[in-house]
Amino acid sequence: MSVYKIKFEAALKRIQKPGRYVGNEFNSVHKENFGELIKFAFCFPDVYEVGMSHLGMKILYHMMNDREDTVCERVFAPWVDMEAEMRKDEIPLLSMESYVPVKDFDIVGFTLQYEMSYSNVVNMLDLAEIPLRSAERKGNDPFVCAGGPCAYNGEPLADIVDFFILGEGEEVNNEILDAYKEWKASGQARVGYLERIAKIEGVYVPSFYDVEYNDDNTVKSVVPNRECAPAKIKKRIVKELDNSYILDKMIVPFMDIVHDRITLEVFRGCIRGCRFCQAGYLYRPVREHSVDKLVETAQKLIDNTGYEEMSLSSLSTSDFTCLQELIDRLLPITVDKRINLSLPSLRVDNFSMELMEKVQAVKKSGLTFAPEAGTQRLRDVINKNVLEEDLLRTAGIAFDGGYNRIKLYFMIGLPTETMEDVEGIAELAEKVIGVFYQIPKEIRKGRSVTVTVSTSSFVPKPFTPFQWEPQNRMETLVEKQDFLKERIKTRNISYNWHRSHVSFLEAVFAKGDRRLSEVLIAAHKKGCRFDGWDEHFSYEKWMEAFRECGIDPEFYAYRRIDHSEVLPWDHIDIGVSKAFLMKEHDKAYTEQTTPSCREGCAGCGAASFGGGVCFE
Amino acid sequence: MSKWRLKFSKTGMGKYISHLDLLRTFTRAIHRANLPVRYSQGFNPHQLITFSLPLALGVTSETEFVDIDFEDTISPREIGEALNRTLPPDIKIKRISRPEVSANDIVSARYIIDLSVREGVEKSKVEAFFEQESIPALKKTKKGEKEVNLRDFIIECEVEEVDGKDIKLNTVLSAGGSANVKPDLVLSKLAEFLGISEYSEMNIHRTEIFFNNGKEIKNFY
Repeated sequence: MSVYKIKFEAALKRIQKPGRYVGNEFNSVHKENFGELIKFAFCFPDVYEVGMSHLGMKILYHMMNDREDTVCERVFAPWVDMEAEMRKDEIPLLSMESYVPVKDFDIVGFTLQYEMSYSNVVNMLDLAEIPLRSAERKGNDPFVCAGGPCAYNGEPLADIVDFFILGEGEEVNNEILDAYKEWKASGQARVGYLERIAKIEGVYVPSFYDVEYNDDNTVKSVVPNRECAPAKIKKRIVKELDNSYILDKMIVPFMDIVHDRITLEVFRGCIRGCRFCQAGYLYRPVREHSVDKLVETAQKLIDNTGYEEMSLSSLSTSDFTCLQELIDRLLPITVDKRINLSLPSLRVDNFSMELMEKVQAVKKSGLTFAPEAGTQRLRDVINKNVLEEDLLRTAGIAFDGGYNRIKLYFMIGLPTETMEDVEGIAELAEKVIGVFYQIPKEIRKGRSVTVTVSTSSFVPKPFTPFQWEPQNRMETLVEKQDFLKERIKTRNISYNWHRSHVSFLEAVFAKGDRRLSEVLIAAHKKGCRFDGWDEHFSYEKWMEAFRECGIDPEFYAYRRIDHSEVLPWDHIDIGVSKAFLMKEHDKAYTEQTTPSCREGCAGCGAASFGGGVCFE
Repeated sequence: MSKWRLKFSKTGMGKYISHLDLLRTFTRAIHRANLPVRYSQGFNPHQLITFSLPLALGVTSETEFVDIDFEDTISPREIGEALNRTLPPDIKIKRISRPEVSANDIVSARYIIDLSVREGVEKSKVEAFFEQESIPALKKTKKGEKEVNLRDFIIECEVEEVDGKDIKLNTVLSAGGSANVKPDLVLSKLAEFLGISEYSEMNIHRTEIFFNNGKEIKNFY
């Protein structure tokens, strides 16, 4: 038993929410022969409630634990009160299941879901007493790897992480575990393992690449410095979802977590191609599960978890080709067991009240839609193929069906945006309210209507047609927010917005290069962590860290990049060609839309994977 | 009548499952076991589950009670076996019976408490704490804080052992609807009295719950 367990338990009595740290939940995996196994620490760089809501972690946790030669244990970022106790009592970061120090694991894997969690990655390594830079790690130190959407441009963590895993982990994670066993048996030096896995498709070892810069600080070249490293690293996907690892159990936490329900993943990828949306390009091509498999899996998940809610999850669930059939076959099971079905991510152009009636048999909560931009012109620029008529028609259907709360999500600071477009947000919200009051009073359901308008600030992301775009300056974003606040006159509309400082840093790290690794370490030394949490985010500390490292963050966020420039992530291949992204970028400026993958292939390049929607 | 009273223990790390989370834990264990539980009527039906006496966070217990309404199609033995399969490892069903007495009549509970302190403590000093006529304390209530005499809530307390830096207490404290006190409050007052800032170790274990049947105080069942 871990010597730290007693100290750790004593600390639990002095902090808030000890439930975050105790584990032992139903379906958690505890292996008795821990010492003999390949030990993988799965780290989520945020608190338990957030990390436990993440589907990818659930899949890989059970998949790796299903291997007899491997144990995978969970690690979350301790909240600041627990961190203080751990540092005071000299308790290193421990795994949740066995209370074993993370530094005693063989592989320490982080999932990178958002840029603002990078400081937590560094802080967790520090708490684990693992050297922060990959170059400082020796002999018995664990290998530190990272995956998830932000790993596609993991360059800001290039000096910290030993290797990145690009794409879906179902196959490649098994390959790196197999390689670990072979390497261990071979008795080779540390670098030998990295050389082995660098040959596996989807694995990127950043130290095997040399980056040269031009005098103007832009990247000149990224070149492999040893034979095992390919010039381009291609992401991995699972070609046939039904034949891949199927998650039929999930850990059921004791405490309330952010998404406390069964997540039934219906498909991966998105057919739409909204030009701002990174996920829409990263996860191509669209691949669906069969309805038979989904129904079978749903039944098992219900039996194995006891959850009272199930959500049909994907990037755009109403685009699932057999949604109607799926729901018709799920309802007999869920109604019988009093399980609520929920449908997130609905689009206004294929919304059906009949469907909504079916899934939300009991509760009439609010509905959320994302027009993203206030005018048709700007919606065409971003390729959000949604018409005002669609939204108003859908609002009408929803009001008729008894809903009287609608949430609308928009972005401000999109490329080519003018004040007219910003004003369009207020006008669109007013039109939605108008639809409600057009319904004759006698048949109107509910006395009044509420529309909540939320705006986030546009962050240009790598691997999208807008990767070359500058972000709006913070002053401009605040100006636009203030302008919108003034334009919203009726009490039926409430307005939420995001802090622009966070969006700025998000842009810097999204499009950053490996020179930012030192900034991350400097910011960590100043105490930056939990940057995604308002109460802990300190813009001043970050700016000090940039100054100390002699790096101008505006270079990354505010510069318009020329199509001819070498991008820090050009050596990563997501299967969508740079030429296609350039073409989409140009089309944005002529306000031309691109049809969805099902309406016609636009030739993005993802067909090279040989599966999914490209071959339907 | 379809209501059953389940006696269960909550041990190990299970002490960090809060009262609210415990309700969810039972609901889901019942779901997983596919047991024919009964639901409330109304707009948002929920399983009919009532705990007899909440247990403070951080306290283990071998004697907790929960009342659950099942359809008559299931026997207590089946309920017990199924739930012990689907409850998390730190919660164990020990006995199932018909509820004969009301949880409203619960008056007190026994706790065995093990404490460790950094400096040695005299047994007489610990005893002196409990022998005080009055122990003024601020007790948290729903409305805020209220000044009470903690002594009124301590029904019995035996200082069983003081061995160097370890203290063992066996105490009966008021519990239930009319007067209730958490062992934490008593222990923090004791720490104050002993002049220490915190215990280096503190284990609190509930062993008995008592009720008043109008004539005498008996073990709750």
